Amino acid sequence: MAATTPTPAAPAARQKIRITPERVNWSATIILILCAFTVLLPLYVTISMAFKSGTQAVDGNAFSLPNPISIEGFVEAWNLTNFPVGAGVSALVTAGTVAGTIFLAAFASYAIVRNWDHKFFRYSFFYLLAAMFIPFPVVALPQIQLTGLVGLANPGGVILLATMFQLSFSVLLFTAFLRSIPYELEESARIDGASTWQTFWKLIFPLLAPMSATVGIFAFLYAWNDFMMPSLIIADAQLQTLPVRQNIFQTQFSNNYHVSFASYLMAMSPAIIAYLFTQRWVMEGVTQGAVKG
Amino acid sequence: MPLTRRRAARITAAVLTVAAIGLSAAGCGSMSGKETIRFAFSKREAIPFMNDVVATYNKSQNKVEVIMDTSGVDVTSASFVRGNPPDIALANHNMEVSRFVERCTLTDLADTSAAQRINPDLTPLVDQYGVCEGRTSALPYSVMSASVIYNKQIFADHQITVPQTWSDLLAAADKLKAAGVTPFYGTFAGTDAWTIGQGWFDYSAGGMVDMKEFFETLHEEGVNVGPHSRQSFQKDFLEPMNRMLQLTDNYVNADAASRTYADGNLAMAQGKAAMLLQGPWAFSEIAKTAPNLELGTFPLPMTEDPGDLRVRVNMDLAAWIPERGHHHQAARDFLEYLYQPEVIDAYNASQLGFTPTTDAKQNDDPRVAGMKPYYDAGQMYQGPSVLVHKSIPVFNYAQAMVLGADPQATLATIDADWARLAFRQA
Repeated sequence: MAATTPTPAAPAARQKIRITPERVNWSATIILILCAFTVLLPLYVTISMAFKSGTQAVDGNAFSLPNPISIEGFVEAWNLTNFPVGAGVSALVTAGTVAGTIFLAAFASYAIVRNWDHKFFRYSFFYLLAAMFIPFPVVALPQIQLTGLVGLANPGGVILLATMFQLSFSVLLFTAFLRSIPYELEESARIDGASTWQTFWKLIFPLLAPMSATVGIFAFLYAWNDFMMPSLIIADAQLQTLPVRQNIFQTQFSNNYHVSFASYLMAMSPAIIAYLFTQRWVMEGVTQGAVKG
Repeated sequence: MPLTRRRAARITAAVLTVAAIGLSAAGCGSMSGKETIRFAFSKREAIPFMNDVVATYNKSQNKVEVIMDTSGVDVTSASFVRGNPPDIALANHNMEVSRFVERCTLTDLADTSAAQRINPDLTPLVDQYGVCEGRTSALPYSVMSASVIYNKQIFADHQITVPQTWSDLLAAADKLKAAGVTPFYGTFAGTDAWTIGQGWFDYSAGGMVDMKEFFETLHEEGVNVGPHSRQSFQKDFLEPMNRMLQLTDNYVNADAASRTYADGNLAMAQGKAAMLLQGPWAFSEIAKTAPNLELGTFPLPMTEDPGDLRVRVNMDLAAWIPERGHHHQAARDFLEYLYQPEVIDAYNASQLGFTPTTDAKQNDDPRVAGMKPYYDAGQMYQGPSVLVHKSIPVFNYAQAMVLGADPQATLATIDADWARLAFRQA
């Protein structure tokens, strides 16, 4: 909404219409405050619980402040999950998936949009979209066997599969965005003698940047948080990703809230930091797509 | 724009590196010259203990290097699908593992020296989870015995002795209730239906019905299980369920329907209730809040005959070696090490379990002492809630009954589920 106001504002000011201070929309504000609470409250419990001692963690008062502040949860979580290795594998899988998704989806979308009148490209678009309707659990069994057969029962296999599962949604986003880029721009590049490859790298891909950010963020969240696929595909427990390692905290018989929450906090931090730095891009990407599309 | 191209090249290189690392990582397993075996261990509370055991073993010899895999039972199942199961496993013996046993995917352990020392009382219990004809597929490693946990101080304060019969139990509960003490702490909240299943449901039924005979009959009857079969849930379980409901309707805390497993442990630790129907795993949780609380255990009496008293046991851990593993000899060597008296006794002492070997030095923790005579005499049963296949949500049925569903109708539903499952698997 904020983006649309500047243009009509200029003539409005000339006509000397008095600008009254905006009335506070109380009902909406209250709803939004409540919504904020649903996020902030669990976050508060996570943080305070992570700093509690083992005794205080099970005393039944989730909202109490840690007293005394203890980092035993962090130490134990660090050791139990072998955090540096787990985080390293998770980072590898996530980086691979994000990069793979952005490039492959951009390539595919460019080819599809510019050759839309060819049957082959049109159907390949529908083919890629169809993958959106296949959830991983449905194909888990054959994929476990296949990856085992071809030596991909490791993080490499997870990168490959995660990229594939992200591809359909990403292609959808990219194609919609690509259609809004005027073909004339590309024609001018052609006239200057650019090849298809050059046109893509020097013109289209930079123009796709906001959408690439959006696609990248979706891929990042998916790959970083995914539990089921790595747990089933990666055969060697020492190459397991962080969410799977954290599964050891989910037991029926014992509660180690302080250890688990410390571990979750450590695992969450990269995602939160990534979001802090890239949220501007996400918003930009979404609004740009919305206005032009 | 050479910059863009350089950046693109850099990113491409990064992607390739990532893929290469991923691919090569699987290859470099054993560099040290020792034979590496993968050891799946699924009991999460005991991971630190088992880490030490593995480290000691690895240091003690220079032929086998054990790598512990604690990723859990789903991952183990996936590895069977993939065809590279762990070389050896210590896993909770349940209906999930029974698939591996029944399909003969596990090697015969009968000729190991560990197998010679297993308490013969336990063999029929292990066999309840399926057999592969002619093989000893799994060896019990840790037996958990569960019954009623009670607060000794509260019992002493009200001059209550451990009840041996159903009427003793009711008298004790009445006395506590009259004195304003909550007799039993119920934890019936949504996600913790298992506490009703393993406690209330199993202890009630196990205290009245011969579980071994019951499940043998049920397996024979198969699709015919129902109102007209020789035995069925609706016939044999109705009386125990009615008694269970008599207890849960009258003698539990008022807010039981919204209390969880963790709440129950906290309440026991704070002395808010006299009894809790939980297994020994709860002791370490209670000790987090009240390390010096005096607790005891006794089997839930369901009849007027003290001779019927039995404790619920489960094969908390059993050892097995899959056929598809490549290191059978090394795995067996490690298995024998695990069964050395000092290792297996120390493990069970740490988890308050019973050691399933004949030469065991059982732990003498006063908290489990109340169950020991029954275990030694073989007066034990495996809980019906774990002997029913997982695809029948028996925990939820038990929860429904406790929260007000008609027991007759609910038990008939379990029968119908059983018959349907038998039909599907026939």
